[in-house]
This record gives sequence, structure tokens and C-alpha cells, in this order.
Amino acid sequence: MNTLIIQIINGLHVGSVYALIALGYTMVYGIVKLINFAHGDVIMVGAYITLSLLSSAALPFGIAAGLGILFCAALGVAVERIAYKPLRNAPRISSLITTIGVSYFLQNAVQMIYSPTPRPFPIRINIPAVAIGSLRISGLTFVTILVAVLLMIALEAFVRRTRTGKAMRAVSEDLQAAQLMGVNINTTISVTFAIGAALAAVGAILYSTAYPSISPTMGAMPGLKAFIAAVLGGIGIMPGAMLGGFLMGVAESLTKGYISTQLSDAVVFGILIVVLLVKPSGILGRHASEKV
Amino acid sequence: MMLSVNDLRVSYGAIQAIHGVSFSVDKGEIVTLIGANGAGKSTILKTISGLLRPKAGVIMFEDAPIHSLEPHRIVKLGLAQSPEGRRIFQQMTVMENLEMGAFIRGNRANLSSVYDSVFRSFPRLKERRRQLAGTLSGGEQQMLAIGRALMGNPRLLMLDEPSMGLSPILVEEIFRIIRQMSADGITILLVEQNAQMALSVANRAYVLETGRVVKEGEASSFMGDEAVRRAYLGL
Repeated sequence: MNTLIIQIINGLHVGSVYALIALGYTMVYGIVKLINFAHGDVIMVGAYITLSLLSSAALPFGIAAGLGILFCAALGVAVERIAYKPLRNAPRISSLITTIGVSYFLQNAVQMIYSPTPRPFPIRINIPAVAIGSLRISGLTFVTILVAVLLMIALEAFVRRTRTGKAMRAVSEDLQAAQLMGVNINTTISVTFAIGAALAAVGAILYSTAYPSISPTMGAMPGLKAFIAAVLGGIGIMPGAMLGGFLMGVAESLTKGYISTQLSDAVVFGILIVVLLVKPSGILGRHASEKV
Repeated sequence: MMLSVNDLRVSYGAIQAIHGVSFSVDKGEIVTLIGANGAGKSTILKTISGLLRPKAGVIMFEDAPIHSLEPHRIVKLGLAQSPEGRRIFQQMTVMENLEMGAFIRGNRANLSSVYDSVFRSFPRLKERRRQLAGTLSGGEQQMLAIGRALMGNPRLLMLDEPSMGLSPILVEEIFRIIRQMSADGITILLVEQNAQMALSVANRAYVLETGRVVKEGEASSFMGDEAVRRAYLGL
């Protein structure tokens, strides 16, 4: 019984990272109807920038992480402005291919700057384990889940309550109608990319502390799994991304614990196939709403 | 002249939809563009709002050219549109839809008097303000679309097919509201397929046919013109 609970908690740990990254996919899709395949590489850039600030500049962890997150937010905005915005009225497939191009560009740029060899990610924070009854949860797991959940609550409040958040929801529902309200869609899209990339950077730091080896292609796998999480929950729906992320993490962890470590990725990708066959709009997905 | 459109040409890709349309709206007027489906009425409104870029032509609002401005800038100048098909935000509440209508007024504006005046015109919206807009009836959604456009305090309001899909009683109600808005000092550019109703409230009218103005004049003169009645009003 305890093993099961521990496996589930481990699943929630990695799942909360997937959820944070999945939010970026789903928010961007909600606003510009684009799957940003370069989103996973933002994780990698975030990890490298934070690593540089930690080792070369010898900054304290909190400041290095904060700057890494800000850098990624700026990167997300820049990528959208430079690569995606000119294609906004182009056929969808052109933008989609461009996101893959940006992904390769980021991977190769980092490879040139830092070398392709994986590097250890220095963790200089020690968090004491948390005991709940007879269970001991590692401090890192506890903090990761806590940070992810708090960020999701904050994001939900932002989107529900603030003027910018409401503009985001309006743009996501009807771009032209939002423009007729006086919403500047360029600003709204930039804010969306900034938030998505910042959340991915937080995910990156949490991920790198759990799997402390970073390389230029490290973003591919968590990026892909987060994308599946977003599809699983219902692409374009924020609570769906959170739910999908947690479910993916738990599914992965249980497969590792009870079936086989090698099979865990296969199970995760199998979930995608099943979702696409059974409910392509995702768990929380709606059918296209009819006009009355 | 509050709004003047001169030799406007608009294309969708290779297909030209508007072939040199000119018209104007004076302050305080109700002007209507009438014509059959596909005549280009909605295309013209979308172009004025900046959602489409004209291929050629000039659009002036209060003596400043607006045809190369982004849509949100045009709204800020006081030129609002309630679009065809209502286009309310179905997943947002009635209140949030109205808030979006007041988006250009910024965060700190005190909107309670604006809400009051919209709720006075549309009491049903007040009853349903916490409901998701997608759950409203067709008539209520149209009220919301107009109320939303009024929240930004426009000087010129463009209404695209406000009576579409509504029962005769609701059509009467919508046109009563249009008259009321006009009496409150809002200049109105009305696009309608229900030409008879449109002509009954309008000062002047332009008849569009496949992207061209084929007739223009006082709205009352159209009602008496037998040829116009037969050709354009289906009477």
C-alpha cells in the first residue's frame, strides 16, 4: 500500500512538471491555434541559462532561477514576434513547420554555445524530507508539487480576474470579436507566450533538479510528454492541461513501478493513441459549441 | 462629416468583393446599407473596423484617415461595431462580456453608471448578469451584443444585421432600441437585410449590389419608389 502511495506521489512530482509545461502548449493553442513545438526547447534553454548563472556568475539559486525564468519569458515573446507573427495569416501548416524549425534552431544554438556534452545541474538547495504519517516524501518532491499547484492557482486567478486575463479568454474564444472590443491582440499574444515560456522555465528548473543532467536535446522528451498531457486534458483548456499533466506523471510512475521502466514511455505514448481514438477533444474537451 | 468612405475596394485573395464604394455618415444620422446577401455589406463594416485591409480607397473618421490603423486603435477613436452573428463571448458571463465592451476604458474607470444605463435599456441582461452568455436566448444575445458595444461609449456605432434570426416582436424591440440610441446622440450605421425596417428608422440609405452602390438617397424616398420596393425590398 505504501509503495503504491509513494509511486503516486512520485508520479505527481513529475506530473506537476508536465502540467506546468503543458499549460504553455495549451494557452498558446487557445490564443493562436498553433502547436508550438519549440516550447519543449524553452525548457532546455531555461536549464542552461540557470546553469550558467549558477556556475559562471555564481549567483544564489533563487536569483539565478528568477533570471532564467525572465530570460525564457523574453525568449518566448521574441520567438513569437520573429518567427510566428509574420505567418499569422499563412496556412496553419507553415506555422507548424516553423515551430519545428525554431526547435532545431534553439537546440543547435545551445549546442554551439555550450557543446553537445551533457552537464550536471548543480543543486545547492537542501530541503528536508516531509513526513506524513509513516510516509517520508522527499523535500524536492514536496516543493515541486507545491510550486506547481500554487502557480496554477495564481494563473487561474490571473485569467479569471484581471483585465489582461479576460482579454486572453476573449481572444481565445473569438479573435475578431476581441479586436472589436479594442483588445490589442499583439500584446495579448505576447503576454500569452511570455507566461507559457515562464511556466516552462519553472518546469525546467524543477525538472533539472530531479534529473540533474542537462543537454541540448533534453527538452524533447518532457516537451513531447507535456504536449500529450495537453491533448489528453483537452488542448486549449487550461484545467485540462493541469489534469493531463498529473495523469501522465502518475501513469508513467505506476508503469515504472509495477510493469517495467523501459515500457513507461511506450505507455505514455499509448495514452495519446487511445485518447485520439476514443475522445480526440480530450478529457475536458468540448465539442465545437453550436450557435443558438 | 463623421464617417466618410471614398472609393473603397476590398478583395479576399484574388476575388474582389467591393468595387469602389463611397458613402458617408453625418453626425447624429442613422444611415443604412441595404442589399441582398453577398452584396458586401459586412465586408464594408469589417474594413471600417480594421479587420480587413482595403486594397484601395480612403476611410475618414472625424477628419482623420483610419484605413491603415489596427482594429483596437479604431475602437479607441469611438467607432464601435456590433458584428454579424452577435459574436458574444459564450464562455464568459454576461457581466464579463460587458466588461470586455468597456475594455478601452482601462482598469480604473468607474463603470457603474455605464452598467446602469445599459441595464436600463436591457433589463433582461441585469437579471442574467451572472449567467454564461452562451446560455442566453437569441434575442438576449443580440441585446448583449449591442449592450457590449455601448459599454465603450462609442460616438459611431455600426450594427451588422441586428435583427437576424429574431422573432417579429424582438425585431420591433431592437429597432425601438436603435431609435433610442440615436435619440441619445449616438450616430448609427446600420447594415440590414430587413430593408423595410431599416428604412423606417434611417435618415438616409445606400443600396448595395455585388460590391457597388447602385442607389442612394433619403430613406423615405425609397419607401415610395415602386421600382426600389420591388427590386430591393421584396415588397
